[in-house]
Amino acid sequence: MAVTHDVSPQLDELVSTAHRIRQAIESVIEGKSDAVRLTLTVLLSEGHLLIEDVPGVGKTMLAKALARSIDCPVRRVQFTPDLLPSDITGVSAYNQQTREFEFKPGPIFANIVVGDEINRASPKTQSALLECMEEHQVTVDGVTYELDSPFMVIATQNPIEMEGTYPLPEAQRDRFTARVAMGYPEPAAELEMLDVHGGTSPLDKLQPVATTAEVRALIEAVRGVYVSQPVKKYAIDLVTATRHSPDLRLGASPRSTLQLVRAARAHAALSGRDYVIPDDMQELAIPVLAHRLLPSIEAQGQRRMPEQVVTELVRRVPVPETRAS
Amino acid sequence: MRLPIWSGVATLAVSLTLYPLFEGGAWLWGSLGAVLAVTVAGVVSSRLTLPGWAAPVLGLVALGVYLTAVYTGEKAWALLVPTKESAGALLDLLATGFADIQRFAAPVPDDPPIAMLTTAGVGLIAIVVDLFVTRLRRAALAGLPLLALFTVPAAVLPDPIGWPAFILGALGFTSLLIADGRERVGHWGRAVLVRRSRAAESGNQETADTRGLRLSGKRIGFTAIALAVVLPALLPTLEPDPLFGFGVGGSGKGKGGTISVPDPVANLRGRLQLPENTAVLSYTSSDDAPRYLRIYALDVFDGERWTMTKMKGRPENRVDQGPLPPPPGLAPSTKTSRVETDIQISDDVDPLEFLPLPYPPQLVRAEGDWRADVDSLMVFSSGDLASGLQYQVVSTEPEPTADQLDASSERPEIDPRYVQLPELPTRIRELATEIAADSPTKYEAAVKLQQFFTRTGGFTYSLETQGHNTEALTDFLIQSRTGYCEQFASAMAVLARSIGIPARVAIGYTGGTKIESRWEVRTHDSHAWPELYFEGVGWLAFEPTPAGSAGQGTARVPDYSLPRPAETTPSTDDPSTSPTTGSDTPSGAPNSRDRLRELDPEGVYSGPITPVETTPLWVTIGLGVAALLVLLLIPAMVRLVIRNRRVRALTWKISGPSDEVTARAEKVDRSVAAAWAELDDVLCDYGMARAPSETPRALARRLTQQHEFDAEAAGSITAIASAVERLLFARDPGSITPLKRELRIVRRALAATASRGRRIRATLLPPSTLLRMRGMGERVLDGFDRLENIRLWSRAARKNA
Repeated sequence: MAVTHDVSPQLDELVSTAHRIRQAIESVIEGKSDAVRLTLTVLLSEGHLLIEDVPGVGKTMLAKALARSIDCPVRRVQFTPDLLPSDITGVSAYNQQTREFEFKPGPIFANIVVGDEINRASPKTQSALLECMEEHQVTVDGVTYELDSPFMVIATQNPIEMEGTYPLPEAQRDRFTARVAMGYPEPAAELEMLDVHGGTSPLDKLQPVATTAEVRALIEAVRGVYVSQPVKKYAIDLVTATRHSPDLRLGASPRSTLQLVRAARAHAALSGRDYVIPDDMQELAIPVLAHRLLPSIEAQGQRRMPEQVVTELVRRVPVPETRAS
Repeated sequence: MRLPIWSGVATLAVSLTLYPLFEGGAWLWGSLGAVLAVTVAGVVSSRLTLPGWAAPVLGLVALGVYLTAVYTGEKAWALLVPTKESAGALLDLLATGFADIQRFAAPVPDDPPIAMLTTAGVGLIAIVVDLFVTRLRRAALAGLPLLALFTVPAAVLPDPIGWPAFILGALGFTSLLIADGRERVGHWGRAVLVRRSRAAESGNQETADTRGLRLSGKRIGFTAIALAVVLPALLPTLEPDPLFGFGVGGSGKGKGGTISVPDPVANLRGRLQLPENTAVLSYTSSDDAPRYLRIYALDVFDGERWTMTKMKGRPENRVDQGPLPPPPGLAPSTKTSRVETDIQISDDVDPLEFLPLPYPPQLVRAEGDWRADVDSLMVFSSGDLASGLQYQVVSTEPEPTADQLDASSERPEIDPRYVQLPELPTRIRELATEIAADSPTKYEAAVKLQQFFTRTGGFTYSLETQGHNTEALTDFLIQSRTGYCEQFASAMAVLARSIGIPARVAIGYTGGTKIESRWEVRTHDSHAWPELYFEGVGWLAFEPTPAGSAGQGTARVPDYSLPRPAETTPSTDDPSTSPTTGSDTPSGAPNSRDRLRELDPEGVYSGPITPVETTPLWVTIGLGVAALLVLLLIPAMVRLVIRNRRVRALTWKISGPSDEVTARAEKVDRSVAAAWAELDDVLCDYGMARAPSETPRALARRLTQQHEFDAEAAGSITAIASAVERLLFARDPGSITPLKRELRIVRRALAATASRGRRIRATLLPPSTLLRMRGMGERVLDGFDRLENIRLWSRAARKNA
């Protein structure tokens, strides 16, 4: 072998910690390693995850499993049509003993927030999440409260065709780093699920395998992953391609470029690499980009989903060939 | 707006093909101006949206004003407005031009009358082209006037039009068609034919986007022109093959083409009238006597002029293959004298594909592929020119006795074409019979004929006569009795034929004048004379043209043609020549009826003069195939060169600690890049090319899975991919070792998966190189695109206007 390469100890640790978390989650969710890996990628790239699928395929289970396997405060909000923004952010209540208004933090004040069936809440409540997700802070009655790090929102939603839902506004969709579809399990995985999970909930047995500090260190390590100029340019090429595609009415935002690069960093780190390669981007292009795109009328007519369009773009945009110096 | 301009461009491009017709360049500037004037008129008509009929009128007016201003400016009012005087002067010029063009053979001198005539012609064509293209919108029809212009040099010149000139003309016409197509399609709406999506984005939506069409139009046009030029050159025809230069062909400026026989008669007068009398050739002969040097023998009179039948120059008649065929009709018993002549043609004569020779030549020593025509003993070549040539010739002049001449048979055994005549006025036949009335023999009749011209007929010599058809001949013989050598020669030949003596007209030079030790022949010594045939003696030259200062200066009457009792006059030939009989002349060999070469069995062969090739057909085909193979192997060779260069770059040497880190990194860089590029090309050659979006890692994965690589190959491809990846994307590529071995393994593994046909193709016709060549072609076309897109003013500025 002509290639030798030494991985930094920091990266080694990252890989092993990530591996532990993955194993923990996968002990709960059978046969969905891609979704699990993507979840971890989003966690490490300081982003938020949108899990979208029909009911009953384990969306909430995934969110909870991730939350459980990290030893950190986890809050879960069940979104309903009558949920109010203050139910998420918290309220100032009058304390009769101290005769002062006192801020009662809502469920958002946690490291991992699981928003279940987010599209069942009214748009007003949904938008309450915006500030928190983008700026990692909450403003109530003119007072701004910082959120803890790491902070990750894992939202699940049913596809919008289902009854009694409010589709997420584009602005909010853009704030999620990635969207993942769970999909039905393989028959074999489903059988195993029946065998193993028949009696007890596996979540109960799940023990945390990493601490908040460890996760914070991992995030720090991911920030140090090297992205070369050609790869950055490649990311821009990919995103630009979505803006020029005749099949799309709305292309990806500059924010998505940023998130694509961040996610690619995490992806590379999870693979034990301290530099990003175009393959990372190619693999992440659909989960990171597809949910932000609006297909054109023609594409809708031809039932061409944004996922297909992105796949095509990835196949068309040439990878960098030369070293930009 | 564009169409009038393109019409002008096309006309000008085609008119450039006229260049070999002229000696100077004044006509070109004149024509350029005329085309410009017409084009401006066309543009103005388009601008003002004048009715269709007005444009040609305006064009004519513009042309008229232009011609007036340029050629008769001083007689016009304010240099521009034509007056009666200036129009008259213009017409005079026109008439002179016509006369001049009749008078001169191409290339004609570029004097004002001729330049003006040309300018007017080109201007008229430009008007017609503009009418077709802009007014009637039938651009294809504009090809007809352009073709008319094109045929002028093609018809007049013996040489074919040079291919660069053809390409230029064709390009002009093609651009015209493209411009018209564009204009037409421009009204349809947006075209969807775009080569690159990027081009579509920046489109100006005001008019239809015809870039794609324009491009395909251009491509079709270029291809058609290229085919038109290349294909005829490649096709094996009876015509000589100019590309490979086999056999005959090539004359004048451009290679290629048959031997052309310029109208010798037309050239003759032109030469006699040339103001300066330049030296054509000089010679010495063994008996130091002047001798007529014949170039052509014209044997057919069709009532219009004298021409020659097609010559037969077979390879075995090459003059370096031994003695020439025996002179026709010369009996072995006839006494001949052997004369050796050494001729030096001067360097700057017009292209001449025939050798001036004394008749009858028997041996010619000349460099090049010179062949003798069996019937007439003309010596010609289709590949070589006589200019500057020095050659030796041995001729055997018959020295007939009067008895032999008298004994000449009444019914000569010779091709009947030598006595054939077209319909002639009876007066001519009567005149011939009258002259020859009391001659007992044909020979005496011939002598009488000559006498008629030189003495009894009262003829005068003058170059100011024209025409050589039957009417001119009748006029010469019956009324005016004024003419020059050509009329004399042709008239005597016609008269001789009409009384049954085989005759033909020879054209060449008189013996010239002696200057120091050499005989020098000048342009004014150009001459025509009749040759008459007598059985047993062969062809004898006669001289009906008056000699001396009142005639053809250096003409000389042969002794045998003088009337008796001059029959015992000793030969003017120097006694020092060795008078021999044919039988003991080893080289002259007129005795050789038995050695007579087999003549063309058909005897009626007609068609272009095509000397039969010495190169056998299979050699020609073989050479063609070989050339084709070499052409086909070019991509393979290019591929080999590229591969070798890369393989050399694959390994690097560290020349020591002094080798700097950056230099080393650069070498590593180059090496990995070379490996990657080579891998790319190998894949392309085997038909499993990498998609542009395929990353090194993905490629390695695909190849390993698709072709079930063994561990070694899989490891090698992964190593290459990893090295490329790290070099391109990692902060520090780490240590990379040369990839030569890995590349070899991968190549072998890939070759094993490809079919045999694929492998052969990859070696012989590597697609990677073909692609690269195609890329180069695209860039050339892009260059054309860019040329086209250069604008004198910006689109925006035009919009504002």
